[in-house]
Order: sequence, then structure tokens, then C-alpha cells
Amino acid sequence: MQRTTLHRVAGAHDVPLGKTLCIEVQGREILLCHTADGYFAVDNFCTHAAERLSGGKLKGHRILCPLHGAAFDVRDGCALSRPATVALVTYPVQVDDTGISIALAGAGDP
Amino acid sequence: MADEHDRRPGAARAPGPTISDVLAHDRQPPPAPLLESRYAFLGDEDIPFARYTCAEFFQREMRHLWPRAWQWACREEHLSDVGDTYVYDVGPYSVIVVRSAEDTVRAFLNSCTHRGTRLLGGEGSGYSPAFTCPFHGWSWALDGSIRNIPGRWDFPHVSHATHDLQPVRCERWGGFVFINMDPRARPLAEYLDVLPDHFRHFPLERRRIRLHVQKILPANWKAAQEAFMEAYHNFETHDSPNGGNTQYDIFGKYVSRFIHNIGNYSPQSLDDYPGDKWRRPPVTEEELLAFLSVYGIDPGHVPPGETARPLIAEALRGHFGDTLGVDLSAVSDSVMLDSIEYHLFPNMFFFPGINVPMAYRFRPNGEDVDSSIFDLLLLEPLPEGVEHPEPPEPVRLGVEQSYTEVEGLGWLGPVYDEDTGNLALQQQGFKTSRKPGLTLGNYQEARIRRMHMTLDEFLSAAMAKE
Repeated sequence: MQRTTLHRVAGAHDVPLGKTLCIEVQGREILLCHTADGYFAVDNFCTHAAERLSGGKLKGHRILCPLHGAAFDVRDGCALSRPATVALVTYPVQVDDTGISIALAGAGDP
Repeated sequence: MADEHDRRPGAARAPGPTISDVLAHDRQPPPAPLLESRYAFLGDEDIPFARYTCAEFFQREMRHLWPRAWQWACREEHLSDVGDTYVYDVGPYSVIVVRSAEDTVRAFLNSCTHRGTRLLGGEGSGYSPAFTCPFHGWSWALDGSIRNIPGRWDFPHVSHATHDLQPVRCERWGGFVFINMDPRARPLAEYLDVLPDHFRHFPLERRRIRLHVQKILPANWKAAQEAFMEAYHNFETHDSPNGGNTQYDIFGKYVSRFIHNIGNYSPQSLDDYPGDKWRRPPVTEEELLAFLSVYGIDPGHVPPGETARPLIAEALRGHFGDTLGVDLSAVSDSVMLDSIEYHLFPNMFFFPGINVPMAYRFRPNGEDVDSSIFDLLLLEPLPEGVEHPEPPEPVRLGVEQSYTEVEGLGWLGPVYDEDTGNLALQQQGFKTSRKPGLTLGNYQEARIRRMHMTLDEFLSAAMAKE
């Protein structure tokens, strides 16, 4: 069975609505996105040309790549416009009074 | 009162009170532009169905209309930060609108100057701190100037003069960003005609997009928009008593208007309509007041000697004033209630109303003569001193979907289903008819004729040059 580990990545008020925060967890760059529907976490690299999405902009539920303008839905990672066609990896997010955590498959998973 | 017996073509009007009569007696009177009326007979020839169905005519529009007409691409609030973009597609054409500096909005053809690739893939709002072609990586600054060419040594023949992004004319009015792909186009102001003067009274800059619905409609773009250019259909399509005495104005080649009342109606205007509905017996003032229930407002009763219209207007001043946080105390009964619709050639509609606060845009669906894209914006007043919030993403509906699926459309959902429900039938009927064209009412459907006349001017002027 896959074991996941929760990683506390931000305080409850560290990421204003409509903004993003790039964090590193287990050597991966992950982009935490605060939308009107809550927090979502996706890989920080565009699946088209590996540009950092943290240099782009969050609009509604879409994160926009600064290089070629590709859009991804942060809720499910889906690529919404060319040139990107491959979805971003997404990570479960948990929020409580003390902060925001992201669930990642733990080291040593089978 | 209108003289329904005048035999001059276009002079006859529906029996009973006119819209001017109603507005002149409103408790809270309208601003001067709503008391103007402007109409002249434009002819009564049929309009050929081929204009809606023929691929060759559609291609003429693609060559000579869309690349030369002003059309709104987006709202200014789509471009709040430097680098915010909006991609507007019409037919085969695609334009990037960008806030290139704090105080500058520019537009470019969405095409690489190297080998032509579309630069930004998606339609709608986006963000690009610079433009980079996904094919070979050529890039441009937000002002369109070429910035980087990988393997520059191989392109000694490339310069700013030859390979900056291709500019598109871009101007702003009423919070809308307009584009025109024709570098020699006359200024937008010449097309807007009376709009800036009239809309001084109802500034659309101080509105926000509350809802944007984008639906594919199963008819040519002209048939689709013409379903919204008259209220003659209200009786049959909407099962509604309003609309028989609607006022139609034609201000020039590019701008027309209708005003139809909400909160009262003219039973006389329906005199020769089938059946007895809404005349025998007429709708009571109490029944008219019940309109308030669509907003969840208890309608109460009409006191003796009063009418429903000013009571509805006053109740809505309170309702929208509280809901939106704006002061509507000085807004006229007509602007509070009525469907007041301005059309700007070729495909745009602006409503100054509060109860009916829309903007529309109709355009071809790609290069399909038989379908179109209908953008519907609800534009609600923004409280004084409040900045525009981030606009909502469009809710996209396919041909078979219903407007009632859209959260936030409320009582308008079923109305838009009715408005668009005839379109597939009409587009099909165009093709089966032996009679070669559609017939228009001289007065009630004159806006449609004016639109076709201006379209002909665009097509014939361009063909004369060829």
C-alpha cells in the first residue's frame, strides 16, 4: 500500500487569495495555489518546456506559463491550451488552523 | 398616441401608447437620450437567405468584414496588470490584446513573424511577460518589438522594421477594449456615433462582469444576433405581453436601439394578435407587480389609483442598491426596469439598464457558416471607489446545453433558452424555402435591415478595390 507523508509547507495565512507560493518538498518544486475554491498544489514545471510556473500568473483556477502562455487547471492539473498537452502532477492539500500541508508519497514506498 | 393608419411605408405604429408616452410620464423621468426617437424607412425588399447559408457569402464576410470592422475583444479589467493578455478569435483570425505598460494597451496579430505559428494557444485571458513562439523560440517584448532570435547569425535580413509583431488597431470605450485589424481603419469614435454621448448617463466603465456565458448557437452569426434585435417575437417566443409597442431607433450606419418596457405593457398593441390573451381580460396592475417575485421580493399590493411600474422601479432601487452597494436613488424608472438595447455594427450590443444589464457579442464559430458563438456578459454597477475585481472565467455551453444550467442567470435562464430555441429551426428553414429571402417589418425589424445595408457597404467597397 502506498504510504503518504504530510509536509507542512505554509502558515494558514501565508498565501493570499489569487496568489501562489513555490515550495520544495523532497527535492521537488511544488506550486501552492490559493483559489476562490481553496488551495491546490501542482508541479512547478510546465509539462511543455519545463519553464517554472511560479514566474507565471494564477487567474481563477488556471495557472499560466510565462514562456508560451500555456494554461493548466490547478484543480486537476489538466492542460487547457497549447502548446502544453500533458497534465501537471497534482498533490493533495490539507488545511487546518495551524497551516497548510501537502501529501506526498513517502520515501521508501513500495 | 401613435397613428396606426398612416399609409406611408414605415410610418405605421402599433395602436395604443408609445414608449415615449410611457417614459414621458414615468415618476422618475429618463435622461434626454431615452426620449429621442430616430427612424426613417429603409426599404422593404426581402433579405436573401443565401446571406445566412452560402459559403461564398460567408467567405466574403471573412475577407472584407471581420478584418476591417471594429469589435470588442475584452473588458479592460481583463488586463489589470502589465503582461495580462486576452486572445480574441474571429473566424480564422486571432488577435492578442496586452497591457504592455501601466497606461498602455496594445494589440497584435497572434502570429509569429518567422513562419507564422500562432503564438498564444488558448482563447481568452492569459498572462505573458513576453511573447515566445513555441516553434523555434523567437521572442518579442510586450510592445511587439523583436527581442531574441536563436541562431541570429542566420537572419541578417531580419530587423525591427520587418519582424516586430504585426500591430492591430486598439482603442477603448466604456470599459471595453476594441480591435480593428485594418491599419487604415477610421477611428473607433466615428463608428460609435451617439454611444459616447448617450452612455455618459450610464457609464459602462463603472460596471463589473458578474457573469460571462459563452454558448455555441446552431445558426449563422447574423441570424443569431437578429433574434435579439427586435421584441416583435416576445408574444410568440416568450409568451409575454411586453414588446408590441417597442420603440426602434436607427441613429446611423452603425448604431441602432430598441426600448421595450418592463413593468407595464400596452394591450392595444396586441390588438390583432391571435386569441384573447392579455387583452380580454387585460393583465392587472397587481399581476404586473408580481414581477418582483423573480428577485425574491414580496410584491405586496398596488394601492388604489397607482400603477405597478413606479412601484417595481422603486423596489428594485432598494434591492439592487443593497445587493450591489450602489446608490440608485437618482436612476430613472426606465433605466431601472426597461430592456434598452443599443447595437453597434457588426455584432455588439450594450444595455444601460439595471434590471437588464447585458452586453452581447455574436461571431462566427470558426469558419462554420451554420453556427456562431454568443458571448453574454452581465455587467453590474460597481460601487464608487471600488476597483474592478478579477473578472470571472466564461461559463461555456455547447449547442445542446441549456442556459438554466448556469448558476447566476436566474430568471434570465429560461428566457435565453427561448430566444435561442428557434435558431436551429430557422437555419434549417432558410435552406428548404422556395421563397428566396426573409421579409422584415418596416418598423419593428428595421434594425436588421440597417445592419445588412452597412454590411453591404463593407463588402461592396472592398470588392470595388479588388
